[in-house]
Amino acid sequence: MIRVRRALSGPAGAILLVLVLMSLAMIAAGTSPVEGFSALLYGALGGRNQIGETLVATSALLFPALGIALAFRGGLFNIGAEGQLLIGALFAGGVGAQLHVPGPIGIVLLLCLGAIGGGLWGAIAGWMKAQFGANEIIATLMLNFVAAYLALDLVSGPLKGPLAAGAETAWLDPTYWLPTLLPHTRLSIGLLVAIAIAFVLHWVFTRTVFGYDLRAAGEAPEAARRSGVNIARLTWLSLAISGAISGVGGATIVTGELHRFNTQLSPGYGFIGIAVALVGDLQPLWICVAAFGFGILEAGGLAMQASAQVPKDAIHVIEGIIILVLAARRYVAARGVGDIE
Amino acid sequence: MEPNAALSLRNVSKRFPGVLAVDDVSLDLLPGEIHALVGENGAGKSTLSAIAAGEMHADSGDVVTSGTVGLVHQHFELVGRLRVWQNVMLGREPRRGWRIDVQAACERVAELAKRNGLEIDPNAFVDTLPVGVQQRVELLRELDRDPAVLLLDEPTAALAPAEIASFFATIVALAERGTAIMIVTHKLQEVLDYATRVTVVRHGRVVERMANAGGSVDAIARAMVGGELPQVASRELVTQMPLLAIRNVSAGSGERTIRNCSFEVATGEIVGIAGVEGNGQTTLADAIAGMIDCDGSIEPRIPMGIIPQDRQREALVLNWSLVDNAILGRQHSPGVRRGITIDRARAASDARWIVEHFDVRAASVDVPIRTLSGGNQQKLVVGRALIGDPRFILAYNPTRGIDVGAAALVQSRLIQARNRGAGIVLISFELDEIFALADRILVMYRGEIVGNFARDVADRAAIGRLMAGSQ
Repeated sequence: MIRVRRALSGPAGAILLVLVLMSLAMIAAGTSPVEGFSALLYGALGGRNQIGETLVATSALLFPALGIALAFRGGLFNIGAEGQLLIGALFAGGVGAQLHVPGPIGIVLLLCLGAIGGGLWGAIAGWMKAQFGANEIIATLMLNFVAAYLALDLVSGPLKGPLAAGAETAWLDPTYWLPTLLPHTRLSIGLLVAIAIAFVLHWVFTRTVFGYDLRAAGEAPEAARRSGVNIARLTWLSLAISGAISGVGGATIVTGELHRFNTQLSPGYGFIGIAVALVGDLQPLWICVAAFGFGILEAGGLAMQASAQVPKDAIHVIEGIIILVLAARRYVAARGVGDIE
Repeated sequence: MEPNAALSLRNVSKRFPGVLAVDDVSLDLLPGEIHALVGENGAGKSTLSAIAAGEMHADSGDVVTSGTVGLVHQHFELVGRLRVWQNVMLGREPRRGWRIDVQAACERVAELAKRNGLEIDPNAFVDTLPVGVQQRVELLRELDRDPAVLLLDEPTAALAPAEIASFFATIVALAERGTAIMIVTHKLQEVLDYATRVTVVRHGRVVERMANAGGSVDAIARAMVGGELPQVASRELVTQMPLLAIRNVSAGSGERTIRNCSFEVATGEIVGIAGVEGNGQTTLADAIAGMIDCDGSIEPRIPMGIIPQDRQREALVLNWSLVDNAILGRQHSPGVRRGITIDRARAASDARWIVEHFDVRAASVDVPIRTLSGGNQQKLVVGRALIGDPRFILAYNPTRGIDVGAAALVQSRLIQARNRGAGIVLISFELDEIFALADRILVMYRGEIVGNFARDVADRAAIGRLMAGSQ
């Protein structure tokens, strides 16, 4: 019995609970769970195209989730990944439309510009906290709106493509498109970049002095300060790196998928990324797995809506439930830890 | 089993991963007695208290109580940002309609405090209070539930001598009114002075039960360690050279202010700073450690080993392993740092070195440090401060909350560091410790250094008077 309870209180239990709740949601929508799940799974993994779309979503979620995890590990609640991603995309798209350099150099340059844009956006929040003690949750959240309207303003005016109908830049020259990873799908090698970043982050957390300082500041700020960690520097630096990772993500969407910038390029990846990071327990390699799970939900949800008449919004309800289940699990775990002699 | 016991433990056992923390223990607490539970760090005392208080379940055995059981923790469990009355009444606030009746709550706390001889301002914010007063808040919270049994885990570890006397006056009065009291402590003199019965535990088992009358500190200590006590290392003659000069240092604000503190520390010298807690010692320590801005000068700035005052908040990352904690504070120094990475092998070997040389009892160096007893956590903090033979050591209550054997070990290591030529500033609220270790004794009172004595001419009575603020 105890073993069953222990198993249920782990991630497996959370997943089981999520499946049960999803079934209930499907029954409520008048569909049998078997039908609903098979539609979901077929839509996400049923063929080359479906897998490609799932991995496109995985890649788009993975970047912000990794950036968020870095900030969270340092005790900084960066909920501005959406804005950081958008600014990164804007830098890449804005410059990419005017670029005249050889292709490979251009691609690297555009990804770097994405990092710089997102990093800058994160650093602004970090600087506000380090310099004035501003609350980073509010600063990062509000900068999302600044980013959205700044981008809208720029692509409606100076950066607007000459032939574009809406708020969009001009197309990128095809030499700057990220190579396709899975032929005949929209999946680019952006996914490999994200996975590489996950491995680098794992190394940073477990092996480097920076990662050690970051984790110390997140777990025990006073002990970290007394151990010689420059908290102010760490604050803006970690938010800058966190933003830079999301910014590269934005740049990969521009160079790998849309091939130009438009203001609608993220349906909230920066927010769902928070859930992905938490589901992955803030551990980069688990976050890869979690991002794949969320990718299945994102891509499969559309198919489920089409074939089983379960609204796509149900997927967002389910994502909300996952966050609640995980938050509850963390709360229970925190309470269940007893100090012992 | 005593028929009228307020609390009975029957054949209680509790196992944690890798260790049998409590092994078949039976114990009765009688109304009106002050029962001392003593043993080394990690002997199972805190676990036993937690089981007795119902905070933890035993794997086997029974706990029978005749009423409420209150437990005052070694590490206070208070909400720092709330007021005293809010902490005392937490969860049991008196109401007027749907609101909290603040006035009734304050009056109730004030009345409770007065009845138990505990002076306190119910409206003060807890995190502005000195440790000794915070403990009164913990005690009041338990007393408000009118417990039949009161368990006290290391209650005097953080208290100044005068506070200890008034604390025990409260406890003795409680016992006289019929409360059964169990006190877990490392201070054996207090056991002799106040306890009626003594139970000694070692490795989770009861090894000795004695009536207090006619006991001696030595007899209890030998029962605790199961043999002879380690001797504190002896002092050797060391050439003294100037090492550190503190000149006219002023810092802090309010009760924590220090003014014009000046003294020097030489190599091979332990400068002991005596004083009642709350007279500016934390500010002085923070100024020396470079943690706060101050006027005046502290020169030269040299690397130092630091034993901070609050190990759980300032010295440890509780969720981390012993290995990760073993290098905290040295992660930027050469040897531990290799380029941008941390030398994990070095961290592990440092952790094992500390565990071995400072007798840290842990299942392994990879368990989270929060699973260790307070005393074992402290030993790791001390060991870490002394690793790599620092030339200067700042030690703040280095033996707080650790048992006699471990305290002797820590004191020996400090003296060995001094013999090796290190300069040490020792801030301690235990005058005995100052006299045992210091080459020179300074007295701090209200943020100023009011006395400076060489070891051989230091007069205990004079120092005691200076600590209390008279000439």
